[in-house]
Amino acid sequence: MADDEELMTAIEAGDARAYESVVARHLQSISRYAYRMLGNTRDTEDIAQETFLRLWTHAHSWRSDKAGVSTWLHRIAHNLCIDLLRKDKSSVTSEYVDDYETGDSPAELPDQQERLDALRQALSNLPERQRSAIILNHYHGFSNRDIAHIMEISVDALESILARARRGLKAQLKSQLSSIRETDGTQKS
Amino acid sequence: MNMAPERFDAIIEAYGSRPERWPADERPAALAYLRSNSQAQSLVASYSALDDLLDEYQVEGLTSLQQHVLVQTAIVSESTILDRIFEWLLPRSERVLAWFWRPALVACLPLLCGLYLGNHFSFGIDGTQHSWEEEMFMLSLNDYAEPLQ
Repeated sequence: MADDEELMTAIEAGDARAYESVVARHLQSISRYAYRMLGNTRDTEDIAQETFLRLWTHAHSWRSDKAGVSTWLHRIAHNLCIDLLRKDKSSVTSEYVDDYETGDSPAELPDQQERLDALRQALSNLPERQRSAIILNHYHGFSNRDIAHIMEISVDALESILARARRGLKAQLKSQLSSIRETDGTQKS
Repeated sequence: MNMAPERFDAIIEAYGSRPERWPADERPAALAYLRSNSQAQSLVASYSALDDLLDEYQVEGLTSLQQHVLVQTAIVSESTILDRIFEWLLPRSERVLAWFWRPALVACLPLLCGLYLGNHFSFGIDGTQHSWEEEMFMLSLNDYAEPLQ
């Protein structure tokens, strides 16, 4: 299998098969990232499509010494998601939102679907950069330097954003997290 | 390599309880510190439930998306310059404003060109020979009386 550099050189020369290979290799990761950022299929499809269109039209702007293809594509997708979320007035744009309304916590232990719904809601309540940082760190396994490159920030700023994101999620998901701890405690005993 | 307690706390608060997500260059020192320190272990435990919950949110791949992406790219790469100009001029957007501002901008171009040309070219009118005073003098010599029928 050809490496990313060979494929990108071929795409730059207009090789459609090389393009197909890169799409097949990275599409699922890009679409999962966009879905977790935006929470709906329609916007996810638009972002994925635009990201790979830019791969086709701007392959020459990729530099192998700066970032891998995956990092470069996630950077494009990240910027497109941020642009889309900023057009949507309901999106949280401030970085400094640490006080979350936890709502009415159900008395009984929530089942997995309820926990997932609560998690999705908590993620969507996070400011967009915190959401992006936690998704790239937890689900995509990028290094801190790669995430900093994707988000165009320093590693120190990334750590600050990630810490705020985790604090925000913990504050919003108190009841769900305590139910997981209780389940773990029951399984261990 | 030693790890400062404050740095360990910062790593856990930022990257969570899973060592594979910690910064690679600091991981060995952080793991050594974790093994030897009970406070560090309880801090990691306090973040593990959040990581477990995040693990539960798995997203299915969009199976038809790959074909869709390839088809759309083929359409764009085969489109002519004229198609691209029309695409730019009348973008496919749900916002009504997007349909108007670009055609309006294009409609203003002849006006802007006229202003530019008018400012920079005299079109045979030699401004140095007919100063403002000369124009006034010529006007004063005119016979404004209505001609007799």
